Amino acid sequence: MSKEELEFFFNSSDFSIVGKAYEWEGENVVHIHTDKIKHSFGSCNDVLFLKEDNDANEGLEYLYVVYVSKQNDEITAKVHSKSFEVEVNYIPKKQELYSRNKGILEVNVLEEKRVMIVGLGSFGSQIAIELAKAGVGEFSLFDFDRVELHNLARHTATVKDLGRLKTDVIEESIKGKNPYACVKKYAININEHLDLMEDEVAKADIVICATDNNESRFNLSSTLVHQKKVGLFGRAVTRAEGGDVFRYRPGGPCYCCLIGNQWFGLSEGEVSNVASARRNGQIAAYVSERDADAFVQVGLSADIEPICNMMVKLALMELSRGVESGISCLENELIYDYYMWANRRERRHANWAAMPGAGSKPTIMRWYGAHIPKNDNCSLCSDREVLLDEGGTIRSKYGDMINLDMSGLSVEE
Amino acid sequence: MTPERLNLEKQVLQKEMPMVQCVFKDMSTSEPYVLMPVKTNIGKVYTIRIDLKGFPNQLPHAFVTKMLQTKSGRSMNDASAAMHTLPTEHGYTRICHYGSSSWTPMVSLFKVYIKCALWLNMYELHLKTGKDMDYYLSHQS
Ligand SMILES: [Zn+2]
Repeated sequence: MSKEELEFFFNSSDFSIVGKAYEWEGENVVHIHTDKIKHSFGSCNDVLFLKEDNDANEGLEYLYVVYVSKQNDEITAKVHSKSFEVEVNYIPKKQELYSRNKGILEVNVLEEKRVMIVGLGSFGSQIAIELAKAGVGEFSLFDFDRVELHNLARHTATVKDLGRLKTDVIEESIKGKNPYACVKKYAININEHLDLMEDEVAKADIVICATDNNESRFNLSSTLVHQKKVGLFGRAVTRAEGGDVFRYRPGGPCYCCLIGNQWFGLSEGEVSNVASARRNGQIAAYVSERDADAFVQVGLSADIEPICNMMVKLALMELSRGVESGISCLENELIYDYYMWANRRERRHANWAAMPGAGSKPTIMRWYGAHIPKNDNCSLCSDREVLLDEGGTIRSKYGDMINLDMSGLSVEE
Repeated sequence: MTPERLNLEKQVLQKEMPMVQCVFKDMSTSEPYVLMPVKTNIGKVYTIRIDLKGFPNQLPHAFVTKMLQTKSGRSMNDASAAMHTLPTEHGYTRICHYGSSSWTPMVSLFKVYIKCALWLNMYELHLKTGKDMDYYLSHQS
């Protein structure tokens, strides 16, 4: 219970109220609250809250009775239990919660910040919880998926969450770390709610794009450009043999400028489940159900962890930018637009040097940063002339096979 | 689609095919589309429909405005790797013109149109020879 709960009861006109006691059987631990809370505890019993100057014989039928009193201006509680002796500990006050981060992070600054996370899969779920642990105070969460069995190996959700909306599960995890966090949830596909997406980007201090489809990346990217907001895009590549993180900062290259970059272009995003890969076209419609399974090549949770971690560091640095803190020095280090990580020397990293003796050659399990040139003619971010792909390469390859002189044709409507 | 992008697309079409009438329909609705005529090498005229919902951030769906049949008389209403088609919508044959992971917002409607025109010419070659369209079109981006 929190002191706020006790104060609320003590200052009310009620002589007693019935609350809830959540207990893990056999562990002699009980969490007591004046109201029913969302929980994942063992058993739940009623608990009677009594002001201490009331009749001591009241509440005998309850397993737990909380006697609330005021001494020297402070409201405190004693708990009587029929089953074991209870030592009372209170949920820390907001300002006490992240006191341990002080000196490294500017906790008061983060508490005021709002982070928008699109996609609560293996990336988004971990990033959300890490940011809550760091003391970020406001979140807006987007994901229309529910927790499925195949998610469990890499997601923060547990067996108890199967079938639940990921937005609800992650809200609980965030509030488990910071009960004072403010969480807005949208169990929708942003590609079908662009106005709402734009409103939320406008309110956010940083946008984390952790989706599995390019359409949402492009939609978020154009909104970031128009609203001059910072955004992070992260993904794992096939079997999480590696991954990358792209950071958009206003005026810099956008996600669309990144496409065509030699490092980025070499790899395709990881296919982690058939349904979503079919939805976003990573698995073509003509691929049979049996063949589709072969496309699903997920990596280990431990392999995507470093990529999530980089996104968290970048997010904390961006949210703390301009405020003197223990991570200010990162502003001189994390200066790149694009960050690349390899987990294993295979496929595209097959020719990389082995870690021992690699010297200056690229090797696994190290971050590499790159500046991405801004495309002056980019259709999403250029303020100059936009030059679209007009199919020059197709025309030079197949031009002699087709007649493009369609003069005078009109459509049949 | 933003008005700026629409203007840009119209400029490209005007520059590349000044004499061709392209009709943009329902542009203020949530289901905008464009109709564009194609004449194949053997002189047959078709209409291509490109749905513009979500364009250019989303890969646009493209159709021939009728249900075509293969040489063997099978309706081209479903996904086929050999024939480069996807499941039908609007009762039309849907052309697989782009892989979704290679789509970018930099691609013009004109390029989509060329790919569809190319597809129609290969379709007619298929009708002539019976060979799958895959024989003529590699799965390129
Ligand atoms: Zn750009």
